[in-house]
Order: sequence, then structure tokens, then C-alpha cells
Amino acid sequence: MSGPKALQQPLSLRFFSGAFLAFWCLLAAFPIFWIAVMSFKAPVDAFAGNPLDVILGPMTRAGGDGLTLIDIVVGIAVLYGAVQVAMRGLPRFVAIDAPWSNTVLRWLIGCTAFAIGFVLVFFGLLPPILNAVNGALGLEPVIGLTTVHYQAVWVDNEFWRNFVNSLIVTVGVVTVSLTVGTLAGYALARSGSQLAFWILIIALIFRALPHSVLVAGYLPVFVNSAAILEPIFGENAPTLYGQPLAVIAVLVSINQPFTIWMLRSFFMSIPAELDEAARVDGCTHFQAFRWVIMPVMWPGVITTGLFSFLLAYNDFLVTSLLLDASNQTMVPAIAGYFNRETTTTDQVEAVAAAVSITAPLFLLVMIFQRQIVSGLTAGAVKG
Amino acid sequence: MKFRTFAAFVGPSIFLMLLFIAAPLVSVFTQSFYLTQPVVEIVTEEVCTPGFLRQTCTTETRSQPVLNEDGRVVRETTFVGLQSYRNVLEPERAWEAVSNFDIGGLLAIDFWKALRFTLTFTLITLPLVIGVGLAIALAVNNAAKVVRGPVIFVSLLPFIITPVIGALSIRWLFVGDGILTRALEWYLERDIAMFAQGWTIEVLMLFYRVWHVAPFAFVIFYAGLQTVNTDTVEAAIIDGASRWQRLWYIIVPHLMPLIVFVALIHLMDAYRVFEEIVGFSSQAHVISLQWLTYDFLQPDDSGNRAVSRASASAMLTMIGIVILLIPLLRKTWRDHRGTR
Amino acid sequence: MKKLLLASAVSVGAIMAASTTAHADCAIQNDVELSSLTAGFEAWKSVTDAMAECGNFSAELDQEFRTKQPAAFAANPSLYQIGGVSNGTVTPLLNEGTIRPLDDLVAAYGQDLSPNQLIRIDGQIMAVAMMVNTQHLMYRHDIFDDLGLDVPTTWDEVIIAAEAIQEAGVVEYPLGGTMKAGWNIAQDFNNMFLGFGGSFVNDDGTPSVNTDAGVNALEMMARLTEFMDPEYLVSDSTYVQQQFQQGTIAMANLWASRAAAMDNADESQVVGLVNTAAAPMAIDGGAPATTLWWDGIVIASNITDEEAEAAFQVALEGIDTDMVTENNEDAIWLIPGYEPNRLAEGAIATATADPAPQSYPSSTEMGLMHTALGNQLPAFFTGELSAEETLEAIEAEYLTAAEEAGIL
Repeated sequence: MSGPKALQQPLSLRFFSGAFLAFWCLLAAFPIFWIAVMSFKAPVDAFAGNPLDVILGPMTRAGGDGLTLIDIVVGIAVLYGAVQVAMRGLPRFVAIDAPWSNTVLRWLIGCTAFAIGFVLVFFGLLPPILNAVNGALGLEPVIGLTTVHYQAVWVDNEFWRNFVNSLIVTVGVVTVSLTVGTLAGYALARSGSQLAFWILIIALIFRALPHSVLVAGYLPVFVNSAAILEPIFGENAPTLYGQPLAVIAVLVSINQPFTIWMLRSFFMSIPAELDEAARVDGCTHFQAFRWVIMPVMWPGVITTGLFSFLLAYNDFLVTSLLLDASNQTMVPAIAGYFNRETTTTDQVEAVAAAVSITAPLFLLVMIFQRQIVSGLTAGAVKG
Repeated sequence: MKFRTFAAFVGPSIFLMLLFIAAPLVSVFTQSFYLTQPVVEIVTEEVCTPGFLRQTCTTETRSQPVLNEDGRVVRETTFVGLQSYRNVLEPERAWEAVSNFDIGGLLAIDFWKALRFTLTFTLITLPLVIGVGLAIALAVNNAAKVVRGPVIFVSLLPFIITPVIGALSIRWLFVGDGILTRALEWYLERDIAMFAQGWTIEVLMLFYRVWHVAPFAFVIFYAGLQTVNTDTVEAAIIDGASRWQRLWYIIVPHLMPLIVFVALIHLMDAYRVFEEIVGFSSQAHVISLQWLTYDFLQPDDSGNRAVSRASASAMLTMIGIVILLIPLLRKTWRDHRGTR
Repeated sequence: MKKLLLASAVSVGAIMAASTTAHADCAIQNDVELSSLTAGFEAWKSVTDAMAECGNFSAELDQEFRTKQPAAFAANPSLYQIGGVSNGTVTPLLNEGTIRPLDDLVAAYGQDLSPNQLIRIDGQIMAVAMMVNTQHLMYRHDIFDDLGLDVPTTWDEVIIAAEAIQEAGVVEYPLGGTMKAGWNIAQDFNNMFLGFGGSFVNDDGTPSVNTDAGVNALEMMARLTEFMDPEYLVSDSTYVQQQFQQGTIAMANLWASRAAAMDNADESQVVGLVNTAAAPMAIDGGAPATTLWWDGIVIASNITDEEAEAAFQVALEGIDTDMVTENNEDAIWLIPGYEPNRLAEGAIATATADPAPQSYPSSTEMGLMHTALGNQLPAFFTGELSAEETLEAIEAEYLTAAEEAGIL
């Protein structure tokens, strides 16, 4: 790092800083790495006492499932390539100068295409090619690896349904939350009134509420919602119990305090002169918001959107109590795995389900990690 | 901004919050002063249950709710004032323990046990989270630009993993003969059972929470570090400030609003500690306030929920968090008045 | 890796094929939309699969069913027609009157049921039981043979055997215990307490655990923990089952439904080495220190009579002899046609002992007592409170909860 000599650091400091960082990265990644490794082994290996057994998986290898050296090399190369595409190529593809509506669409298309492409290549194209190569060269597996648990989880236990439900609920929560939150955040940022301040303080206190309290109040109301709505809708009143729409409404509301706080600080960092100029030109507040502020608020909105995504995706209390089996999202489904009378195979399948839940978040963070930092730098940090 | 426009913008958000947060909260508050009970009668009846080949019939006396003409349980609601609060706090027993300086006796009462753990958990993890987050932010800031992307990605991993899964993964690593327990046993050359005593479980929980939240603090502080004014730093170097002085007198004050923000968020979240208790199955040794409320609300096999005690416990938790937040709220109020 | 694609293709094909042969094995064709809410363990999977063969049926298998059942059945109309309950979880449905008496339906369709299966409460049949479950002794017969030990019949004999096994040092811990704080440790106490002749509540609803039987039970449990893994306060039945499978323990009082796992070659290292015996007695000559549990089906009352009739017929299809023949090992079935195997001996010996152990009471008082026990017992085992103090704390919490629930 070049710069004035006084700002440069002695070698010892850089060494310690680097070593600390390496230690932290090891600490951060180890538990997840470990359960990922466990999920690919036979149950006996997964819970084995010797760490080398868990990594190399002798029993799994004895069962005939494993990776040869070529598999490992090619696999790592493909993964590295995919990561590079995700971190560099995608943002470049999307950052082509375009009006804001196109950017969102480009992001969606880009992410979906990347995900589908990766799945096709890694799970569809590679295995037959590698199997042929291994067969031709007569190579033996070196590391035991089996995907039987993932098959059991995704196919036999139809985890893909839960995945779809999770996507529906999460996307619903993020869109509604951001729509409602940006409007509120803008107003709170632009208005310096006492009311705005008190709204923020009360929202803060709301955020402090333990969810278990709120949710217990919801359950009887939702279960009996058909009876409650009968006076309004008559005989065919719909029941709200088990409907994703109800869960979306609840999650949006519970996350509103955090959302409006974050968005308010983003809007505070956008100079008021911008929309004031628009208003002087004759726009109403809403027109100023729509045409002047919206194009420049995206970094902050994306960051807040990501936090909303995390909160909705990882939620357990609300989704487990308000959704029934056909609409259940992934996290309460996995709690079911852990709660039932489990055999060791069930437990490893639960671990595989846990890794499956975390995988889309990996993708998200990998693609958006630059956005997160730049969004925070742009907004919340200054507010 | 005119009030009507303001209301139009803020309206949907306020409406949702009122419906799904304020309304349940008010309902919990009022519920904590009332007791809703079914009207019961004592019945003696013959119950026949299966053995393997032959039934056994016994005469049992039990209480059964009275049903009205529609087949619904008759419930009556009575105003009990602070009785539910007294049931949760157990003031007589607590006062007796305190006047005898019997801390063990005080901590044998569920509420105080939960309060003790929740407070120590919150107050110990707070400086750790800020310290570790700051250290990581400074270290990443020092690192070569090439390496920053991957390092930020890896650092964010503990934050994105679902809390229940994260707690479970740490548990698997340590319970019984888990990998890390074995490593510790080999290193210390003695038998270790991490889950057999309370303090080791607490240490694991503290470690888990810091591991989980430090990335959030890191990413916010790192963003703040990008906006440090290099001119000020250079001026300080010219004035002869050492590295530590620069850190303490320039960087930390610059980051102070962010530190307050992170502290606020962390206080609120740590006070609601719950997933750790579930993930580590620690209820024999440590419990937290939100877990206590959740436990009161869990129906037992016969369908009873201790709703009044849960409401009282929830309100007490709320009071606690408001008290904890007061210093930070006062600072925000002063800042707000200062900027107007 | 290629297997993944192949497996997916085969599964999709199988699902499509299965859905077209839905009515193959069911004696009736069901035209009414029916659904069930039951627990999620293996036996219920087999039963609901058999029910699904009748068509127009969807099963919800959820381990959190006890939270959802009362509200779901109380809704009008009920959200499910068929419910899966045990003697522990039927209480809220009984109390709220949300399940219907089955006498007429049994008279019309239940000719194949054995009289033992009909759960009668106050003269009315409220449920049809399909399996029985209990905690009984499981032990490594190879270790016992090697050391020349007799199979213990009382808990004192268990301690003698445990001491011998500990001296021989053949396993890490002689005993396993399902003593996880909460429901599990309370259940262990229930078993021991009843074995010492205790009764939980008096006729007027006041608690009666602070008695000699209670103190004896706690002291016996404390002596047993000396032979267990020190992390017993976080060990549930899955953990103890795994300890058996990995050869870490030699004896445990474990649920009969877990016995089949011992012979599961995929996971167990002790296949064929575990035998079962009746639960040990606490007092010589008394009943085995355990409780009997049954699982069965109930029919909701907030549904039309036509739905109830159809639901009952479909439910009977789920628990008929054909299903038992196909899924013999899943549980200790009460249904005619069940052939007990070696691992079922312990449960059968327990259930047919004389005097017989009690069935777990289905009452509100028991539910409250169970919760109070689960919350307060750990303090004794962590050394915070003495036995008498613990029992006093349990009674105090029970009294608070009972007053709150309107029982006292």
C-alpha cells in the first residue's frame, strides 16, 4: 500500500494484523465448513470421534461413494471459476448504465441465470464427464463423499416445496417491507417534527419486544379467523391460518422498526436540496420522491433489503406457529427434523437440510457483499 | 412537510406496526392483570386403558372444564391486579433470600435466575462484540485490496447462518465427545464434559453470540472506516501522535455514532437471547427472560398455557429493556435537540 | 454424482406411478375430503400411508402437533377430521369436547378391533388405540454373559450390575438416562415415583409429591447418575439411543419405540447384542417402575356425521391387520396380526406384569405436575437444593399453576 511513509505500517503490525485476520476467518468459517463436510458423509463417519475420519470418510469410501483426485481438482477449479463470475462478472453485467427499473430486472435475471447455470454445470454436466474419465483411468476414490442425504432431504422429503415456500414468503416480505419502509423513511427523514422523533423512538422500543410475546397473541386469532371475518365476508370467509399472506404481513410489521430506522438514515444522507429543487419546480412530495430520490437511493435500499431478506428467511417463531405443513418454510421444517424421534441418519439428513438452507445465503452474500459495504458507507454510516 | 403528506407517507408503516405490534402488546399488558380460567368441576370416572392383551380399568378423579350449550368451555375472567407479577417474581421468597444474603436461594427462583443470566450475557457480550468488530474492521482495512472481497465474505458467514442452526453446529462440535471437546481434552490432558456444568455452557453461549454478531459490527465499522478523513490523520502524525493515540483520539470518535448504533442494536438483541438456550438445551443450568416467557406459553400435554404468568414475565422483560436503553435514548434525545 | 440425476428421475416416475395406483390396497373407496394431524414418528408414517391408499386423504405429520391440535380441533369446522393422540395428549381434546364418542361407529364398522384397543372414558369409547409404548430395560446381553451377571429385576439389582460393569471397565458408562431437563427428567421421576408407590395429587387436587416416595425416588435417581455420562441433564432419548448404538453404555431404561434402532445395521455398532427386559421394580414385589402409554386415533366432533363416518372407516383402514403385517417392526402394535420379535419382549413383559404399571394419567393435574417437575427437578441434580427443598419447590410451582388454571 503506497502512501505517505508516515501512514505505512511496520512489518510486525502488518504481520499481526494478517495473522489475526486469518485466525478470525478460520473461526468464522470452521463450524459451517464442518457441518458441510458432515452432511456429505455416511452417518457413522459424520459423528466419528476422529476428525480425520470425518474429513476423509473411510466408511463412506468403503460404501463406494467418493471423490477421486481428478474429481477434487476439477471440482475446485469449477468452484473457483463460479466464485469469480459471481463476484466480478455479475456486477459488471448489471452495472451497465440503465434507468433504475432495468437494473433491478438485470439483477434478478443475472442471479437466476447464474444459479441455474451453476446447478446445471456442477450437478448435471460434471458428474457424467468425471465418471467417464475416472472409469477410463481406473481411479479409486480418495475422499468419501455421498449425496444420499441431500437426495433424501430434497427429493424423498420434498424439501424443495419448503424452499419454494421460503422464497415466496421472503420475496413477499422484502418487497412489501421496502415499499412501505421507503415511504415512511423518506417522510421521517425530511420532517424534523417532534412527531417524527417520537415515532422513531416508539419504533425502537417496538423492535426491542421479544417475538414470543407477540406471536402467542396471534395464534388463536388466526386459527379462528374464519369465524372472526364471517360478519364481513359472510359464509365463505377465508381462513387466514396457514396462509403465506398472513405470515408476510406479520413479518413485515415485526421488521418495520429496523427497516424505517435504516432507511431514514440513508435518506438523511441524500441532500434535501435535491427534492427541494424538484418541489420548487412544481412537483408534489410524492412526485419528488418518485422521480428524484428513487434513482439515487438504491444502494441504501439494497442494503436494507438484504437485512430484511435475512430476517424473513431465518425466521422461526412466526413461521413455525402460523404455517401448516403444506405451506411451511425451510427453517421450521428443519426444526421438525430435529424434534422427531431421530436416528443418526435422520440427524445427518437434518445437517444436510441445514446446509441447504445456508447455501442460497452464501450466494446472496457472495454477489452482494460489495453492495453491502458501499451501501453502508453511503448512508447509514453518515446518519 | 405538511401533516397530511407526512401522514400519507408514514401511514401504511404505522398501520402495520399498530396492528401487529402495538395491539398484541396492549393485549399482553392488559392480560397480565387479568386471569382467564375455565370453570372446572371434579369428576370421578372409570377409565379403561390398554395393556398388551387385556385392558385395565381404574376409577380416576380429575377436574374437567364445564362446557356450555354450544359445546365451548366456559371461561371466566377475573381482575387479579398484580397477582401474576407476584407469581413470577415470588417477592416473599426473594426477600427472604436477599435478607439472608443467600444468593443461591435467590437464583433458585426462575425469574431471578433468568434475569441474572440475561444481564450478564448482555453486558459481557457488548464490549466483546464492539471490540472484536472493531479489531476485524481495522485488520481488514489493513489488508491488501485483493484479499478484502473474500475476507469480507468469509467474515459475514457467522452472521447469515440461521441462529438455531448456528447454535446447533456449535453444540455438535462440543457435546459429549465432539471434535473440539476431544481436542481440548487432548490439549489439557483431562476429561472434559462441556455440558455437565453451568459455567462452561455459559461460556459457550457467550462465545457463540460474539461469533454471530461480530460480523454485523465489523461491516458497519468497516464502512465507517472508509470515510475517515485522511487529512486529520496526517495532521495528527505531523503533531507526533503515536498509532494508539491516533486510534483513540481520531478514529474512535469518528466511529462513535456507529458504536452507539451497534451498541443499541446489540443490547436489544442480546437481551432477547433465546435461540442459544434452545440450541444448547441448557434449561437445566441457565435460562433467559425470553425463554421463560416462551416456556410459560408452551402448552403442556394437557393443553395448559400459563398465559397470565407469561404476560407478566413479558412485561417485566419489557421494563428491563427500557431501563437498559434509557442512557442511549437520552443521548439520542440530546443529539436530536442539538441538531434542531 | 450421476446417481443424483437418476434418483431424481426415478423418484419423479415413482411418484407419478404411485398416484395412479392409489386405491390398490384399500378395502373402501373414499370420496370425502379428509385430513389428519398426528405425530411424525415411523409408526404414524406407516399408518397414514395406509390411510392414504383409500384416496382423498392428506396427512399432516408434525412433531409440534400438541401445540396445534387443540386450536385446530376447536375450530368450527375442525381443521382436521382424524387426530393422532397418546394418553398424554388427548387431555385437551377431552376437556374441550372437541372429539366425538365412537360407540356407534365402532358398533357399525369396528368388528375387527380387539376389545383391548377401545379406550373408554366414563363408559364411552373416545379413542381407538393402535400401539403401546413404555420405558423398559434394555441391556447388552453380551456384556452380561461375559461378566456372568443376572438380568436385574429391581433398581437395586441394576446398581449392583452397574458397579460390576464399571469395575470391569468394558464400556464408558454402565448406565444411560433420559434425564434432559424438562419433559424427559420429569418422566423419569414419574416412573420412579410411581414405582415407590407414590401418587401425584390428592382427590381435592392438592399435590402429594413431598412424601417418602418422592424422597426415595430422588435419592434412587441420584445414585443412578453416578454411573451415567455427566452430561445427563442434556440427554434426551435420541442421545441415549445413540449411546447404545455406539457402544458407550450397557444399560438404560429406554422407550420401547427405540428398540428397533439397536438392530439397524446402518447406524448401530451393537446389532443383535441388545436385549430387552421388563422395567426394573423400585420395591421388590411391586409394579415395574414405569408408565404405560398408548397411541391411537380420535375423530373430531366439529365435523358432519357423514365426514365422521368416512373418517372412521379410513382410519380403521390405517390400523388394520394388513398394515401391521407390512410394518411389523414399527411399534408394539395392539392390532390383531402383530408378531412380536425379540426386541419386543421387554415391553410385553412390562405391560403384562402383575401388578401392572399404571397408565400415564390423562388429566389437567398431571399436565401441570409434569411441567412443575420438569422445571424444578434439575436443581436437585445440580446440587442447588436438597431433596425435600426440591419437592417443596415442585409443590409450590404446581400450586401456583393450578390456581392459575382454575383447578384450585
